[in-house]
Amino acid sequence: MLNSISYFAKLVAELAKFPGVGQKTATRLAFFILTQPQEEAEALADTIRDLKRKVHFCPICFQMTESDPCQICADPRRDRNLLCIVEEPQDVLAIERSHAFKGQYHVLHGALSPLDGVGPEDLKIAELEERLQAGEIKEILIATNFSVKGETTALYLARLIKPRGLRVTRLAHGIPLGSDLEYIDQGTVGRAIEGRQEF
Amino acid sequence: MHLQKLFFRNFRNFEKVDLQMEKGLTLLWGDNAQGKTNFLEAVFFLANLKSFRNSKNRDIIRWGESCCHISGDIMFQPCCKKVEVGVEKTGKSVRLNGKPVKSGRDYFGLFKTVLFSPEELNLVKGGPAGRRSLLDRAVFLADPDFLERVKKYDNYLKNRNRLLKEKRFRDELEVWTEGFLENGVRLRKDRITYLREFTPELKKNYREIAGTAENVDILYPGSEKGDEELGKDLREDLKKTREKERDLGYTLVGPHWDDPLFLVDGRPLRIFGSQGQKRSFLMAFKITQIQAIEAKTGKTPVLLLDDMASELDSFRQLNFFRFLSSREGQVFMTTTDKQQLARCGVSPSRSFQVCAGTLEEVKYERL
Repeated sequence: MLNSISYFAKLVAELAKFPGVGQKTATRLAFFILTQPQEEAEALADTIRDLKRKVHFCPICFQMTESDPCQICADPRRDRNLLCIVEEPQDVLAIERSHAFKGQYHVLHGALSPLDGVGPEDLKIAELEERLQAGEIKEILIATNFSVKGETTALYLARLIKPRGLRVTRLAHGIPLGSDLEYIDQGTVGRAIEGRQEF
Repeated sequence: MHLQKLFFRNFRNFEKVDLQMEKGLTLLWGDNAQGKTNFLEAVFFLANLKSFRNSKNRDIIRWGESCCHISGDIMFQPCCKKVEVGVEKTGKSVRLNGKPVKSGRDYFGLFKTVLFSPEELNLVKGGPAGRRSLLDRAVFLADPDFLERVKKYDNYLKNRNRLLKEKRFRDELEVWTEGFLENGVRLRKDRITYLREFTPELKKNYREIAGTAENVDILYPGSEKGDEELGKDLREDLKKTREKERDLGYTLVGPHWDDPLFLVDGRPLRIFGSQGQKRSFLMAFKITQIQAIEAKTGKTPVLLLDDMASELDSFRQLNFFRFLSSREGQVFMTTTDKQQLARCGVSPSRSFQVCAGTLEEVKYERL
């Protein structure tokens, strides 16, 4: 029946392309949009259009931005000697929320994963080398994920960057703040013990 | 630890089984192809979320049905946990005390079973892959985190193999090799450490079962070496196979190729061992494994014995059953020959006749 309503079917098909959204959820979402007031649905459409038109990736750090370069790259108060490398744009948001980092960023847009066909040339690594070439950066903080892919990417970057004589650091890993030791998995506890610090 | 209640529906040739279980020995007897092994398989599946027969999900679902269900109440002193597994052709769902279990990590290692079956005997008789899997299963039962480490190693290995296959040999291969090395050495260390305590007990148990002075052993390559040396060796081996692995497109060394040798009097059991020696070896292996689990976790695993008495002379049988009756735990055992067990003085607490997918409780008369 639904297939005969071609606009509806088309929207369902589009929504079902979203990550984590299947046919059923897509149908629910489409119904929701259909029952919304005209102006709300159009506002959504406009927002999507504006997002694609106005938001793009910063040509320097590859974070998403509306300005060119992005706010962080343009901010004179940010430390230009310190560069933090992350896998995805969302990771920048996570670090920014902490207000603990005052340097600049470089977003790789992925991590090495031969099984998924992702190699160094698919990441923003050539662009990273270009930035390093400029000579302003003194320290690199590698903040890729602590997964097999993220760890391997971190090692790859460290080997690439260290010969340039820069300081290369890695995000510390250990017990999350405010958590109970008894609920932490053995691997994390083991690493936290290895990385213990003088009191 | 024991299974207090067992329920399954549409599993293999069983339509429905709903039983209260007891500690001690439960005997299942009947002719061939009636469902005795299927019963053990259901208990095994509940513990391991897979079959020991290398079957796909759809194979264990009763012919003509779309799904099957297995559940059990497992008694851990002092409380009971309810585990449920639903299997469809496309996947399975697991619940623990009514709550969905998302990661195998939260589930595995909870309900421990040790299996003895003719399938496992083939592992002793066959190539290195089977021996590795016997060993890995033993390490895993004593330390559930071992599985995570195997998976991590596997992840590095597969990525590395992909690079070799696609002939991408640049710096990228180097970093995947580092992870492969680190985790490969870790796996070898896990296996070696386990065997260090395991082998002396295995020797003792074998002598007791076989009643001979025969000396059995498990020889793992590099077992006499320290961590550093193990690391150096693997790195060295990789270097030696460098050209060949690039040619063939996959990794040629590492723990996934290691061959743990099972020896009897210094000679490979697989080639020189008799049927009885192989069976005794596997029995001693399993007994040692049970003891290791008990020593390490304080839990007594549930024992599943599939047609185990055949092919053993009466002396070895007697010794094995003496071991069984000296233990506290729960045992499920299948046989086609009730009399034979009776001769060994086996006295089950429950016994069932299995006939074309139905169970009938029968009183077990001692002969």
